[in-house]
Amino acid sequence: MWSYEKRLQFPVKIKNTCPKTAQLIISQYGGPDGELSASMRYLAQRYSMPVKKVGGLLTDIGTEEINHMEIICAMVYQLTKNLTPEQAKTAGFDAYYIDHTTGLWPQAAAGVPFTALEFQSKGDAMADLFEDLAAEQKARTVYDNLLRVIDDPDVKAPLKFLRAREIVHFQRFGEALEMTKEKMDNKNLYFFNAEFDKNMYKQTL
Amino acid sequence: MNNDKCCSCPESLAMATVPKQEWCEPYDFETALMEGTIFPCLNMPFFKADKGESNLKTTALSGTPAEADREAKMIELSTISFAINDLTLYLDTHPDCKEGLTLFKELLNKRLDLLAEFAGKFYPLTQISMITGKPDSCCYDWGEGPMPWEGGNI
Repeated sequence: MWSYEKRLQFPVKIKNTCPKTAQLIISQYGGPDGELSASMRYLAQRYSMPVKKVGGLLTDIGTEEINHMEIICAMVYQLTKNLTPEQAKTAGFDAYYIDHTTGLWPQAAAGVPFTALEFQSKGDAMADLFEDLAAEQKARTVYDNLLRVIDDPDVKAPLKFLRAREIVHFQRFGEALEMTKEKMDNKNLYFFNAEFDKNMYKQTL
Repeated sequence: MNNDKCCSCPESLAMATVPKQEWCEPYDFETALMEGTIFPCLNMPFFKADKGESNLKTTALSGTPAEADREAKMIELSTISFAINDLTLYLDTHPDCKEGLTLFKELLNKRLDLLAEFAGKFYPLTQISMITGKPDSCCYDWGEGPMPWEGGNI
């Protein structure tokens, strides 16, 4: 069950229209390492996690990623809300404008539509937690890449915030990995799949 | 199971390890929101990100006095709420940490008061803050206050 709170997790107040920047940032909405993909990844993986606390962490981080998706969408929206037809011709944003005007649609910076193929839910705690650790690193790289080429301080402040969250989430997934390992034989963590071979995992509790 | 004689080291082979975070004294909560974490030990900034200047102060507090007042209250609510968000993830992996729990409860109480105060003075941000802050409301209306994505959130 989710409920909505009428505010953003981090304030977004962008003064200057910039379709080019919007076209880059939209990747963190619908791109391969974007926030939509992140929330769907964690919220999908949580059901079959063998450690309850790890399922809880995935719920909390998956929920936070939805907040982040909203921040990214607010940025794209504010960067394009006063767009003139002349500005709509900006290289990179022109093709998007033809299909979506200034509506929000999840796609990568290069125009590839959002797809569930960008994330995994493997049904194996080790594989899933390593996927999550890698996902946080890839998202951090995208924020690094954005921060390197964007100068507007109104845009940089939320990007910096979102990048910092990737590092915190990486740490928490690392701790979740340790919690999962605690109940297994550390000489062979691959003897069984804790999500599927449930009885074997219970015996080791 | 089969290879327990081939290595005597405490760490497992073919496995990565992330050290568990120890409690570290949090930032003040406005700095925490700007930096993206309440924990100084987890703040690892990128060289191209701006340092420290508070965007909250420079872009907020514009417009009419009533708007400035609302923005200031929203900033306060956002800083406390974010500290709760970050602490939530910390407690997920440190459920027994006394320092974390004490701060968590203190901030949850503060947030309840702030939500009620915001609802009373301006408009409700959650359904529950409608009854805690504005019990005599005569309508439940999305038309009250700006949409979060309009920039009216600060």
